[in-house]
Amino acid sequence: MNALDLAEILLFPGLTFFVWLAFVFDWLDRKTAARMQGRIGPLVAGPNGILQPVADFFKLVSKEEIIPEYADKLVFEWGPPLFFAAPAVGTIFIPVIGLSAIVSDPYDLLFILFVLAFSTLMAGMLGYGSAGRYATIAIGRLIVQYAGFEVPLLISLITPAVLARSLSVSGIVAAQNSSGLWYVFLAPLSFAIFIIASLAELEKAPFDIPSAKTEIVAGWMTEFSGRSLGYVKLTKNLSYVFLSALAASLFLGGSSGPMLTHIVLLQNIVYLIYFLLKLFVIGLVIFAIKTALARIRIEQATRLFWTILTPLALIQLGIVLVLR
Amino acid sequence: MSSPEKIDGKNSKRSADLGIGKALEEMIRAAAQHPVTKDYPFGPPELAERFRGKLDIDPVKCTGCGICEAVCPAQVVAMISVGKRKVGTREIETKRPTFDLYTCISCGQCVDDCRFGALRLTHEFELATADKNTLVMDKALKVVQ
Amino acid sequence: MRSQTSAGLTQYSPENMVPFGPVHPALKEPEYFKLILEGEKIVEVIPRIGYAHRGIERAAQDRTWIKNVYLFERICGICSFAHSLAYAQAVESILQFEVPKRARYIRLIVAELERIHSHFLWLGLVGYWTGFDTLFMWIWRDREHVLDLIETITGNRIHKSYATISGVRRDLPDNIIEPIRREMKYIDERARYYKDLVGSEETLLARTRGIGRINSDTARKLCPVGPLLRCTGIASDVRIDDPYAGYDEIVPEIKTSREGDVASLLALRTEEVRESARLVLEAMEKIPAGSVKLNTPRSVPKGEAMFHIEAPRGELFYFVRSPGGTVPERVKIRTPTMANLLTATAMLKGQTLADVPVVLTGMDPCFGCMDRVTIFDVDKSREWSVRGEELRQFGINYYGNGKKH
Repeated sequence: MNALDLAEILLFPGLTFFVWLAFVFDWLDRKTAARMQGRIGPLVAGPNGILQPVADFFKLVSKEEIIPEYADKLVFEWGPPLFFAAPAVGTIFIPVIGLSAIVSDPYDLLFILFVLAFSTLMAGMLGYGSAGRYATIAIGRLIVQYAGFEVPLLISLITPAVLARSLSVSGIVAAQNSSGLWYVFLAPLSFAIFIIASLAELEKAPFDIPSAKTEIVAGWMTEFSGRSLGYVKLTKNLSYVFLSALAASLFLGGSSGPMLTHIVLLQNIVYLIYFLLKLFVIGLVIFAIKTALARIRIEQATRLFWTILTPLALIQLGIVLVLR
Repeated sequence: MSSPEKIDGKNSKRSADLGIGKALEEMIRAAAQHPVTKDYPFGPPELAERFRGKLDIDPVKCTGCGICEAVCPAQVVAMISVGKRKVGTREIETKRPTFDLYTCISCGQCVDDCRFGALRLTHEFELATADKNTLVMDKALKVVQ
Repeated sequence: MRSQTSAGLTQYSPENMVPFGPVHPALKEPEYFKLILEGEKIVEVIPRIGYAHRGIERAAQDRTWIKNVYLFERICGICSFAHSLAYAQAVESILQFEVPKRARYIRLIVAELERIHSHFLWLGLVGYWTGFDTLFMWIWRDREHVLDLIETITGNRIHKSYATISGVRRDLPDNIIEPIRREMKYIDERARYYKDLVGSEETLLARTRGIGRINSDTARKLCPVGPLLRCTGIASDVRIDDPYAGYDEIVPEIKTSREGDVASLLALRTEEVRESARLVLEAMEKIPAGSVKLNTPRSVPKGEAMFHIEAPRGELFYFVRSPGGTVPERVKIRTPTMANLLTATAMLKGQTLADVPVVLTGMDPCFGCMDRVTIFDVDKSREWSVRGEELRQFGINYYGNGKKH
């Protein structure tokens, strides 16, 4: 590992780049949701409000942090950074400026599955450490919802791996590039199920049950304030970008696309542009879905996952295996 | 007496719809139209003509009769003595009103009841201040006929 | 562990009690509901009220008759005209005044406009409570049309300061018929769209269909009022049963529903909005010319009167007693939320925690209106109310002698 690799991991296109993307995603989410509701969205902070998520983050970080008396102080201090580490580490496996990511391992998809699981585990830990009534109810809901969406998510993630004969994200992107056909057309059900399961992972409507604002105040995030809350929110935005980037890479071909130039430096920029375009397309799909739906109840969500989505994901996987 | 109309909880005229994302059509239409957010405070506020804002007094028309003090529901008005005058052989006090507008609810009862038309409600409503004494209106005290 | 005390109150263990309120994102106003849960299922709901009590009935005893109109309209922002109207009509009963016909029609128009605004407010908030922010934003955008119309007529969007004893304070503005026609047509269209939407949007239906179902027998025992009563199938509306202010000539059509759940409440209130729009248009067609108020004396003769009206939430009831002077002796207010509270808590038994905001707010609560004080002595089974002077003396004794709770 040399200095260039480290710079790539930390700055571009690694951590700092993805954090910046997280801010942009949050802004885009608020703007499109606002336009679809007939209003404007953030307007004042920066041109057209683009600095609003940054302003929110710094505001939270600068505020006083109140830790409840019975809470676990270790969780409050180490929990948010660990929660942040999960999607942050996952982002270095996504190809952005080339057909292979900064770090690419033949089995990195499995590592990403671990990252997703770890993310939810940390959310549960944070709620558990809060020791509040609302957080307790929220953890119950979180675990039940997690058990629900994890299986369809895994199955729909494996399907492109089966198609590409590779368990590496970079490998799947390269396979889509060489075959010229995006996997969203070969496994459309998997794509749809991945998007729905992502909504559940990210706790967006209709699955924002563990942090249902009008029922259990803020769910497992209730007792967090100040700096911890700032990092928790940043992590949720980062997960948003991470899952969208994963969907773009696995199903829409990620950074691949017809190469328009032979100059190597410009090639990197073309890859970047493709990646960003597909990322924002997925983002738009998720924004539209979450704005259009109400929140359902936990038993209805569970029923949806186990009786409808899991069988469909299995059927899609079966079709892909048979037709391979 | 008309017969009551029965309504069902679930009713959909177009039952062939999927049901999920019913709002999508309207969302796209709203996104294509201009947002309904008004420009204020980056532009002027749009107020109706009858909008009841800050109270204003015309000191010349005020005679100090004290009706505004008697009818105000929020005890905004205090009649202050500003001098004496002779009426025939008697000497009576001349009073004029002072208004603590930080208590005023802009109901307009004093406006309706003032026989001399000295009071009116303006369209001014941006009255937030750090010092409530800036909202005391005593200009009627300075003009005495 | 639960056990009953001698007074019939339920004791519970703190592990399964989740507090809902007094400060909660789902409640617009503070009230405290103790939810006794088993897992996610609600076993019992114990309400504790009094968090928004402001002593309005006591304050009314110090103010003259006309000043009290402004006091009572500030009990609630959403049904403010209903309160001032009921009070004014109660005082007119004591005075035995006949309100001019034009004023009665204008009162009807503004009351129905307020009903539209209140029902839209609630419908939008149902969107908020179920996580459907889009519906919230759309409905409140349409509500702005009604509020602008109310501002054009009365001068303010919320505290209209429009009703007065013996009529309304000002006549309608000139050329108001065109804006009213245009806006009522728009409101009718939108209400039709929302009725279709809430009846067919699957995620919203999943949250509201079959939730909090009560049948008409339970309703007859628990005595709810307003849309909560009408959604169980009982056709009862004060505007029909006991007409006032122009409703004897412009007759509304009662809407009811058979289902008795929250989804039917949604549909019912959209239908009531359409009916209100129709009433406003009909009143504007038929409104006679004439004066809009009479001269009222400062002193009201000795007597007492009761008056009830159909506020947007249900039956609002005012009792006014005059000692024959310039201030009232007693004003007693019974708001619709007070009557609906026990029904709403009964609707919650057996539902899950996620249904609590939807059901509790299904009755369209206005806790700010609701809080009143009644003094019970449970052991002696006696209840009474105190006069202002008695209360003051009690406070002096209580704190003056150094006794603390």
